[in-house]
Amino acid sequence: MNTLVFCCVALPFAVALVLYFTQLDRTRKLLVPAAVAVMALAAVIMGAHGTFRLEAETFLGLPLDSLFSMLDLLLLLYILGLGWKLGSRTVMGMTALQLIGLLYLKFVLADGSAPVTAFAPDGLSLIMVIIITVVGGLITIYGLGYMDIHEEHLHLRVSRKPRFFAIIFCFLGAMNGLVLSNNLSWMFFFWEVTTLCSYLLISHDQTKEANANAYRALWMNVLGGLAFVSAMLFIQKSLGTLSTEVVLHKMTAMDVKTTAMLLPFAFFCLAAFTKSAQVPFESWLCGAMVAPTPVSALLHSATMVKAGTYLLLRMAPAFADTTMSTIVALFGAFTFVGTCILAVSQSNAKKILAYSTIANLGLIIACVGINTAASMMAATTIIIYHSVSKGLLFMCVGAIEQRIGSRDIEDMRGLYSKMPRTAIITAIGIFTMMLPPFGMLIGKWMAIEAIARATQAMTPIIFFIALGSAFTVLFWARWAGILVSSANLHDRPAHGNPKATVMFALRSLCGLAVVFSFISPLVLETFVEPSVAGVYARLGLKTEGFIPGASLTGGAGYFWIYLLFILLGLGAWIAWKAARKVSNSAHSQPYFSGLTQEQAGQIGFKGPMNAFEPVRLSNFYLAQYFGEGTITRAIDIISTAFLIVLVGGLL
Amino acid sequence: MLSILSAVGGLILSPLVGGLLTGVDRRLTARLQSRLGPPLLQPFYDVFKLFGKEASVTNAWLVFSAYMTLISSALALLIFFMGGDLLLLFFVLTVGAVFQVVGALCVPSPYSNVGAQRELLLMLAYEPILILVFVGFAMCTGSFSIEAVFAQDQPLLLKMPLLFLALGYALTIKLRKSPFDISASHHGHQELVKGVQTEYSGPYLGIIELAHWLDLVLILGLCAMFWHTSVIGMATLVAASLFTEILIDNITARLTWQWMVQKRSLLLGMGLALVNLLWLYVA
Amino acid sequence: MGFVDKMIKRSRLKSPWIVHFDCGSCNGCDIEVLACLTPMYDVERFGVVNAGNPKHADVLLVTGTVNHRNRHVLKQIYEQMPSPKAVISLGACNLSGGVFKDTYNVLNGAHNVIPVDVFVPGCPPKPEAIIDGVVEALGVLKAKMGMGPEPEATLMPGDADVPTAAAGPEGEAASEADKSMKNAG
Repeated sequence: MNTLVFCCVALPFAVALVLYFTQLDRTRKLLVPAAVAVMALAAVIMGAHGTFRLEAETFLGLPLDSLFSMLDLLLLLYILGLGWKLGSRTVMGMTALQLIGLLYLKFVLADGSAPVTAFAPDGLSLIMVIIITVVGGLITIYGLGYMDIHEEHLHLRVSRKPRFFAIIFCFLGAMNGLVLSNNLSWMFFFWEVTTLCSYLLISHDQTKEANANAYRALWMNVLGGLAFVSAMLFIQKSLGTLSTEVVLHKMTAMDVKTTAMLLPFAFFCLAAFTKSAQVPFESWLCGAMVAPTPVSALLHSATMVKAGTYLLLRMAPAFADTTMSTIVALFGAFTFVGTCILAVSQSNAKKILAYSTIANLGLIIACVGINTAASMMAATTIIIYHSVSKGLLFMCVGAIEQRIGSRDIEDMRGLYSKMPRTAIITAIGIFTMMLPPFGMLIGKWMAIEAIARATQAMTPIIFFIALGSAFTVLFWARWAGILVSSANLHDRPAHGNPKATVMFALRSLCGLAVVFSFISPLVLETFVEPSVAGVYARLGLKTEGFIPGASLTGGAGYFWIYLLFILLGLGAWIAWKAARKVSNSAHSQPYFSGLTQEQAGQIGFKGPMNAFEPVRLSNFYLAQYFGEGTITRAIDIISTAFLIVLVGGLL
Repeated sequence: MLSILSAVGGLILSPLVGGLLTGVDRRLTARLQSRLGPPLLQPFYDVFKLFGKEASVTNAWLVFSAYMTLISSALALLIFFMGGDLLLLFFVLTVGAVFQVVGALCVPSPYSNVGAQRELLLMLAYEPILILVFVGFAMCTGSFSIEAVFAQDQPLLLKMPLLFLALGYALTIKLRKSPFDISASHHGHQELVKGVQTEYSGPYLGIIELAHWLDLVLILGLCAMFWHTSVIGMATLVAASLFTEILIDNITARLTWQWMVQKRSLLLGMGLALVNLLWLYVA
Repeated sequence: MGFVDKMIKRSRLKSPWIVHFDCGSCNGCDIEVLACLTPMYDVERFGVVNAGNPKHADVLLVTGTVNHRNRHVLKQIYEQMPSPKAVISLGACNLSGGVFKDTYNVLNGAHNVIPVDVFVPGCPPKPEAIIDGVVEALGVLKAKMGMGPEPEATLMPGDADVPTAAAGPEGEAASEADKSMKNAG
């Protein structure tokens, strides 16, 4: 077990160090897949082994706890220096506060308290490790091909790839550390490492816009870090320990949860909201789009934003059955509907994906706030499937952008005739996000069921979710539709697909998304359900009315998923066959009131003076109703009010 | 096993029922306009004729979408007959709607593209209402299963009258009846031609028509669920809903899409649903 | 399959969907076409629907003078109708060019552009005549499917110069057309 944890946490950092000093492309192309394979294997074995506890007091002869304290301080000092360099008082001030808090925690409060178990992952942590290493690993492999082309476009004198891949591996290692470690102060270290890594990665291209957006990401996440430190301080003071396990046990054993007991969790929520880019902090994640695509993919699917939801899911039992929990649920549901509406007005593919990520995280947080076993299962399911689908979609957009030079979905009209495989994979990715029988929808199904069964503030939450879902369909469906737009009967384009590593990553993730959806009952039974049931059993929580798998209409739920998958799959196959069978002689031009004309492969009208007028189409973006400029302000105000109620309501 | 067999049987009978109901619809519409109207079996003649026509397709994805639309409608109906899960039914219905949009968008034609965008707005208008109605069912019966509804001993209409109205509202939109026929008007010679259906022709238009019949049966079935305790009650509800739909269809003009989004559906329909849900929640 | 085939053939005769194309008439004929849809005549009794889209239609109703400007449109609309299909030429202008016959920009009848099955003369033809034309067109369709005899052509008195069969798609008229196209601009 030691080795496995080492492979997942320490190995990435070691690999990062080697990569940083490797200029040779060939070495990198051998090392990265090998490291990814080792990590993924270790993660899967660890997952198969189940939950465990691991004491680790020393590492290479050094006492680990002191090591992490040192690293914590060094990291904060580095961020402080960064703030100095950027000339930002906000960052410096907040980092200084963190430093003071941390020093106070280490030397005054925690002095001489009992040692804490190093690693005590629960089922959720193991699921997260697998997601991070497998999805994150595939994204890294994709990055190999992507960054070649990316740097070609930039005409760099010295390649910045060593730095890029080194940071990405640090990122993966930090995420693994974050989800595995039991000690909150260690978790905090990894938490801050992800903040720093995301800052470095977003500013990777060093353009003015990149720097500005990276700075925004930095100060928002430093704010989250500050909330995290405050939470640790309060916990140490009230419960006298920083062990996640012990904290959860103590909290769930309590009959009446007082304000003082709940306050740290409100701060944890705040920290998680910044990390998960919930409104009003959504702007940093949208700004992060300027980074190279592997970074966006990584931030959105496997790492970073999932850290926030992980923290909340892990801590959820501590604040079950409180008003605070209800507020969290309302807040999540509000984020869901708000960002779904914002996504409707976007034509920038990456922005659509960004808003949809935030929306889905909001849905997860709504489930956390509902705080029942069923809703926890829903949240975990959404985490799993969202990672796979969203990682896939980002990589698709990156590959498309490198080919057509645009990330606007209007420019993807008829993409199927230019890069058929990527277009099909993108369409499948979109369908896995919005249609049954794919995993995301099963997650949403469970979520709606869980919410409908909960009693607290059910009506407004279900109202938000229902409204948001409809907007989701709106922006996904039109994107999928225009990908295949063409006036040719059967497009038979020349091959021109992306690089091998890019295609490999796309295909594997696409395969994962489909296969995992098909075996979703199995995934639910072997991963999701034991993880939630295990937590509830260990904490001795009431699981009243919780029959494993019940959130899918009892035992028969699984039957429906298989039936649906098989029938719809069969139907799609028949439809595909029928579509292929249409003979070329049946082709006809679209109806333009009899004025259709084709010129140089382009379809259009015969205009005045017999001039050719190409057809120009565009989606409705409804910017006058749902534009960023129109409603962002209102959403920010309402969500800030939620946050104030969340923290202020306890005081 | 028996339930599956009867469900499949119901599925086979549904096109007949749907076609007949469409015939009744056309005949009634004609009478309301003081015309005589076509024979009752006219919809069947139309569809048979369409299946016999030469295939003429702009983009092969159109064919794919047509088949997917039919398959998802049939599947939704199958779930309904098997007494499955209401949310599942809803999601499967979404598949059909999404593929209608994909089919319309895959041809670079202004008519079908505008139709597709408007169809998306229609979906935006009816989907939240449907979810809320289904949640209402769940609140009354404690489960999303359709079987659970039939296990109740009181008609649900008494508990959720406003939700019934909201459902009727959503269904008018789903069936693209006037004033909500903004994405594919019944009258193909208007500004939008046939909206989302413009580019379908021959057998593929027939498939879309068939899917529409199945949707009609499903929707009337959902209406019937509000008075499941007696056959007469179910028949009354179905007849009343159908007649009201036709009447509204004939006495209203089309909305603009702005009206659709701003005033009509989101506020009125969801308002009705919300009030009823709150009432159920309190009661 | 025999039964299905028979059903399809019979259904074709019961559901002629119409697309109406106006090549630039004075609207007299168009008003009469629309009159057929009113309660007075109610052609929906025979399953006739005004489809408004050649891709959905079985019968093309053409009115107005065909000229060099709109003959391409007429041809494309005809070509976008999936078979089996029939064409009804309606009104004096469409039959022969009417009062504009032999002017520089007029093609002297739709039959010079597309094969016409039924000619309905009149200026404008009465709704009864139009309905009769549709019924004749169904007879033509029936004959094409081998279900009945070719309907006999009924000529109006003094109409000896009405073309009896569908003329070739574009003969002399087309080359003539290209020349005058330049003039027309």
